[in-house]
Amino acid sequence: MGKPGIQSVISDSNIENNHPTADAPFGRTLIELAKENDKIVGLSADLAKYTDIHVFRDAYPDRFYNVGMSEQLLMCAAGGLAKEGFIPFATTYASFIARRCYDFISQAICEHNSNVKIIGGLPGLQSGYGPSHQATDDLAILGAMPNLMIIDPCDAVEVAQATRAMAEYDGPVYMRLLRGNRVPMVLDRYDYKFELGKAKVLREGNDALMISTGLMTMRCLDAAEILEQDNIHVAVLHVPTIKPLDQETILNEVKKSGRLVITAENHTIVGGLGSLVASLLMDEKVSCDLKKIALPDQYLAAGTLEALQDTYGVSTKAIIRQVRDWVK
Amino acid sequence: MKKEELIEKAFEVRKNVLKMAQIDKKGFIAQGVGAADFLTVLYFYAMKYRPEDPKWEGRDRFLLSAGHNAIAVYAAMAEAGIIPKEELDTYGLDNSRLPMSSMPAYTPGIEISGGSIGLGLPIAVGMALGLKKKGSDARVYVMMGDGELAEGPVWEAAMSAGSYKLNNIIALVDVNGIQADGKTSTVLDTEPLTDKFKAFNFYVQRIDGNSISALMTAIDNAKASAEEKPSVILCDTVPGKGIPFLIGDPKSHFISLNDEGWVRAYQELERGEN
Ligand SMILES: Cc1ncc(C[n+]2csc(CCOP(=O)(O)OP(=O)(O)O)c2C)c(N)n1
Ligand SMILES: [Mg+2]
Repeated sequence: MGKPGIQSVISDSNIENNHPTADAPFGRTLIELAKENDKIVGLSADLAKYTDIHVFRDAYPDRFYNVGMSEQLLMCAAGGLAKEGFIPFATTYASFIARRCYDFISQAICEHNSNVKIIGGLPGLQSGYGPSHQATDDLAILGAMPNLMIIDPCDAVEVAQATRAMAEYDGPVYMRLLRGNRVPMVLDRYDYKFELGKAKVLREGNDALMISTGLMTMRCLDAAEILEQDNIHVAVLHVPTIKPLDQETILNEVKKSGRLVITAENHTIVGGLGSLVASLLMDEKVSCDLKKIALPDQYLAAGTLEALQDTYGVSTKAIIRQVRDWVK
Repeated sequence: MKKEELIEKAFEVRKNVLKMAQIDKKGFIAQGVGAADFLTVLYFYAMKYRPEDPKWEGRDRFLLSAGHNAIAVYAAMAEAGIIPKEELDTYGLDNSRLPMSSMPAYTPGIEISGGSIGLGLPIAVGMALGLKKKGSDARVYVMMGDGELAEGPVWEAAMSAGSYKLNNIIALVDVNGIQADGKTSTVLDTEPLTDKFKAFNFYVQRIDGNSISALMTAIDNAKASAEEKPSVILCDTVPGKGIPFLIGDPKSHFISLNDEGWVRAYQELERGEN
């Protein structure tokens, strides 16, 4: 039995396109922040090891609480700690945060603008285990929650910067986590600095404007380099803060020329970045050709990530394929 | 099946678990071999079902609540003839009917999606109510993890099952003492389990979950119980059972072996030491 050399779901790694990598950027930054601010505490629901907060747990065991597998409690307890003046960072997988904990986040945290930072592992299509672990809908679900700031970082550099920025911001934040000991590093080559609520142009180009978020920005940048060889010049506007949306920058970039506009997100086509951009353009009477790269409105399959990301059109290769089709 | 045959079967189920882990040499191996005994007793002693007709209306329902333990359930279902043994080879691969986390859309004989843990007993409540309403004498068996017991919905369901006197539910908790972040005793203490379930009006038995005879007796008791109560069998199991060098591994939740480690595991299992 067994077929040596075959990739299965477990053997997936998150190294992509041979970028340099960093180890646990979220957990390591949290340790630095904790040195500076003794109000910072950490919580997880039996997923410390899988959300990189275990390094914080090991550095500050008396400032870390594992509540076991009880995500709803995780949110309420974090809300309670915030009421007592602490700054809790609570981690579990994004799918459980968005689906199982909605009411708890709404009532125990967001209605009171509590200073809780919610960190979700495996956002979008980042797991081959099937729909239970594929948080393809978290931006849409949590996007409907008033007061909640939402961040979808691109790489290890941004995860670290965003972690610091959210600790300094007073209010509830949800961040999609890129985790593990090999989180790609890309943005250091683009003279980039994360700012809450700000979208930034990472690359100019006259044929198409890609408006992307999360790790799709990394894939768009990689795709843009390859497309350049075909004489297709693609600009990339990175939108790490999904809420509040940087409407001004998005509108300015879209208005600049008659470029094809393409949104790209590691999320369902329903209610994420593509929907937000489309409705913004309509509201402001800005017209353009608009295409969306996003996951389909389906329960996705189980399988190996590489195959799934390609099938569902969000791999670098799939981005290149689609942009070529659209621009030609 | 008789006790001796069941012991043999459980050995085959363990071997299946290890063979399924051969591609990656990692995964939920320790839980899988630990749960092999009670799964064997369920599939070859306790439950009525038709391997060729997994949706047969009269079947006992088996709900795998913590879906990552699919590896063990597929291993048992292959022995039971519900899925072909050769198919175990495809576990976790693209286009396989045997995904890492169990889902009914993929696999015959799988009743619920178990990836989001804690829904088994809640769904069992509805199925048990439905079976009673239909006048069926089928039972609902639910397999849960001990870490899973921290989930609130488990206790919402326990309260309902007790209150509705759902004696057609037989829950089995795999008390293997481990969960994702380490030992259950250090992550979040769930004990005393017997008292907790008693307080929720369950008929509670706590047994050695790696003893075939203890499991047979517990199933007999649960079925024969005159008490109008749901049943829970708390199965104390040893993760890594049958593979001595895996027992006590601090990374038991997700074992990683190299090629040699896998061969050693298989050899230790075949030698049948404990
Ligand atoms: C709702 C939910 N929370 C967290 C997880 C991630 N997770 C998968 S297995 C596991 C630990 C399971 O422990 P236990 O129930 O004891 O099962 P065992 O592996 O010991 O059989 C966790 C936390 C999940 N799948 N679902
Ligand atoms: Mg356990």
